[in-house]
Amino acid sequence: MTLRECYEQLQGDYDGTLGRLCSEKLVERFALKFLTDDSFALLEESMNIGNYSEAFRAAHTLKGVSLNLGFTKLYEVSSEITEALRGGEQPQNEALLGKVRDEYQRTVNLLQELQNG
Amino acid sequence: MRSKVLIVDDLELNRDMLTAILEKDYPILQADGGRKAISMIQKHQDEIAVVLLDLIMPEVDGFAVLEVMRNQSWLKAIPVLVITAESKPGVESKCFEMGVSDFIKKPFDNAIVRNRVKNIVDLFSYKNQLEEKVEKQTETLKKQYKLLVMQAEKLKESNTKIIDILGTVVECRNLESGEHIKRVKGFTRILAEQMMADYPEYGLTKEKIDVIVSASALHDVGKIAIPDSILLKPARLTKDEYEYMKSHTTRGCEVLNNIQDVWDEAYGKVSYEICRHHHERYDGKGYPDGLAGENIPVSAQIVGLADAYDALVSERVYKGAYSADEAFHMIVSGECGVFSPKILECFRKAKRKFEELARAQKQQQQKEGMA
Repeated sequence: MTLRECYEQLQGDYDGTLGRLCSEKLVERFALKFLTDDSFALLEESMNIGNYSEAFRAAHTLKGVSLNLGFTKLYEVSSEITEALRGGEQPQNEALLGKVRDEYQRTVNLLQELQNG
Repeated sequence: MRSKVLIVDDLELNRDMLTAILEKDYPILQADGGRKAISMIQKHQDEIAVVLLDLIMPEVDGFAVLEVMRNQSWLKAIPVLVITAESKPGVESKCFEMGVSDFIKKPFDNAIVRNRVKNIVDLFSYKNQLEEKVEKQTETLKKQYKLLVMQAEKLKESNTKIIDILGTVVECRNLESGEHIKRVKGFTRILAEQMMADYPEYGLTKEKIDVIVSASALHDVGKIAIPDSILLKPARLTKDEYEYMKSHTTRGCEVLNNIQDVWDEAYGKVSYEICRHHHERYDGKGYPDGLAGENIPVSAQIVGLADAYDALVSERVYKGAYSADEAFHMIVSGECGVFSPKILECFRKAKRKFEELARAQKQQQQKEGMA
């Protein structure tokens, strides 16, 4: 799988990201680096123990990273939960975390596929 | 020289992305949180050219870092560029209010980040250099001013010295009045200070009084050009001798004219006025120019009265000493010299001070005589 194919399957913004980061090499390097990022794990853990301000920061980070890497779908769902958590509030919509989890898992799976060639 | 870029973000991935963009052009420092950022800025404040700051971080966030930077006045020399995915309205303007130089929203474009960082670094390096230059120039100016003040002080000292040397020459030549000059100086100061307090129209100041008092030592400098046969004659002078004696005023001016360019203009002018005009009379019947009223310089009016009073209370080769009371009445009644009503009013007020000084000088003289 090529980088472009990976982005296509993610429904990500490959051309925009390539334009911003200037080289395919950089896009690939940082996209794969996303695999080591534990923002989602922190988000899930914070939600479980009811620490919503920590969860807000983790969601915000996830939103920023996915936005910068052009993971459009993941950006959309993490943005949604970020706003729901703003101010350290418990989100009204309990399904939000699940949506982020599904998209995060899908993203990670595709990136691993890319990594393994 | 500031050249380093400090990247502050709690996420390693973000720090690495920014590092990848900038590491070719700048040495990079990284901080994974606000607390670390503050301690690094403190440690490297003279090396950091710009701070790239994330806003939302655990514990100490970007706003807290900005607050510290503002309070420590670091923001004046180190610009901050905020990079954030924050989309909440008002955050950007709040950042600018807190003094950040630029604000970049995610997703960022590598080329734009590179250019904005370069612009800010160049601008601040120029600004810092200018400020440094101005500071150095101010420092130099201050030093030069200090030097100038010191030189002015020296000049004043040397002016006083010239006057004292000339005064001493007159003292030696004028056998009858060893302490005369010292007393005239004292009376001059008393009278001048009273004039300053009561008649501001004469424009006397503490500085001007210092010059007048100092220059009063020279009122009789022309006497060095009067032959002993006249100057020290223990009897009444003939009419011709008296005319010659009167020329000590103009002869003194000749002496002063010859040294005019050696000393400060203010000293020269006041010395000349006193030397020439201390025998003028308020009614215009004095000498050498017959000046009347306020045409007589105030310095000469003051010294003229001080000189006349001292002559009365002192013993001279041609006369005995009058008592302080007699001397006072002779001057106030116009029996000895004619003075302006204003200066006589001051003299009346300062009568006691005149007498105290005369007494103190006499005691001092007796003490020295006994020793």
